[in-house]
Amino acid sequence: MGVKAVHRITTGRNGLGAFILQCKKMDFHYCDWAGSSKGMNGFIKSILPKFAAAHPQIEFTVSPRPSKHPVITGHYINGRDKAICVRNLEPLQILKKVELLRDASGEKLKKVTKPVQSINESVRGIWSPYHGNGMRV
Amino acid sequence: MSRALLRSALELRTPITRLPPPFLLPIPIRSRANALAVAPAAAAATARFFNQTTQIVDPPIASSILADAGRTPTQPPTAPAPAAAPVAGISKISAALSTQIPQPPPPARTSTEPLSESVRTLLPLLAAQPGHYATAHIHGRPYLVTAGDLVRLPFKMPGVAPGDVLRLTRATAVGSRDFTLTGAPWVDERVFECRAVVLGTESEPMRVLIKKKRRQRRAKRVESKHRFTVLRISELRICGEVVAA
Repeated sequence: MGVKAVHRITTGRNGLGAFILQCKKMDFHYCDWAGSSKGMNGFIKSILPKFAAAHPQIEFTVSPRPSKHPVITGHYINGRDKAICVRNLEPLQILKKVELLRDASGEKLKKVTKPVQSINESVRGIWSPYHGNGMRV
Repeated sequence: MSRALLRSALELRTPITRLPPPFLLPIPIRSRANALAVAPAAAAATARFFNQTTQIVDPPIASSILADAGRTPTQPPTAPAPAAAPVAGISKISAALSTQIPQPPPPARTSTEPLSESVRTLLPLLAAQPGHYATAHIHGRPYLVTAGDLVRLPFKMPGVAPGDVLRLTRATAVGSRDFTLTGAPWVDERVFECRAVVLGTESEPMRVLIKKKRRQRRAKRVESKHRFTVLRISELRICGEVVAA
């Protein structure tokens, strides 16, 4: 008998009251020797300190991973994570990828056809043929 | 040794150091940062620093979505950076603004014409009802929203960061259960307040289209993956008190 999850009564709607960035942590892995990490090493030296200072709500970790391609991993509040391999990319291209990880919600990508999602009740109610003045045929 | 020096010099070429001195820039950076810091989304104010494109703020006439909530009406309009691409649907302003001509501060957005008599009588009744909806237009497309809704725009809005607050002032209809105020074509901006928080950017699964002609062995694989800005409608309020003013 495992631990039972607490039944959730309400649904979180981020931004309705407070806004919380969904990305909570970013890992940067680099290699000192390999050529594919060249741009990543430059990014860590020059751009990452400013980016990290601009985002105090994200935890940043930088760790070497010798003889592997450089990888950035974003960890999200919903428990998922997203990893992007940035081998042979320039520092500014890596910045684009980091912004992608920052802006992502952490959910799986899915096709959405309706632009507006709502859990509110219909404001004007549901039309009924039995109410109102009726319809002349 | 010299190669290492060259490499480190190249790595230090960040976009910040490559910018011209601030008096040559089209945007007053310092005043812009201050104005954004006033906004509730103060955390996102510094994040704007890394965006290559600036927020596209429309002139009052040809606008479909409106500026940041933190922008005061007295602040001069910010011209888009040279890298900012014109957005589809607001082509009217993109031609005018891309020439980087400094413009005078815009007039107050709210018109001073008095509201019509029927609006004056019925607006308090509309405001008193519990639930409200609005058909807000963003870049020419209508979205029927209530407070708390999630809107996934069919495009990636340039120059916005997560946490930014947008005020939507173009609506064709505002209503409640029993009343609807329809604009011709737009509802007066004084009548309602609709704000949206930028949640971030979402994407879709990769679309793959195989293009193949008959009796030809060649097959072309076309991939596309679009990005979309996601908004949360944080506030939708009918301003019933403008009738008294």
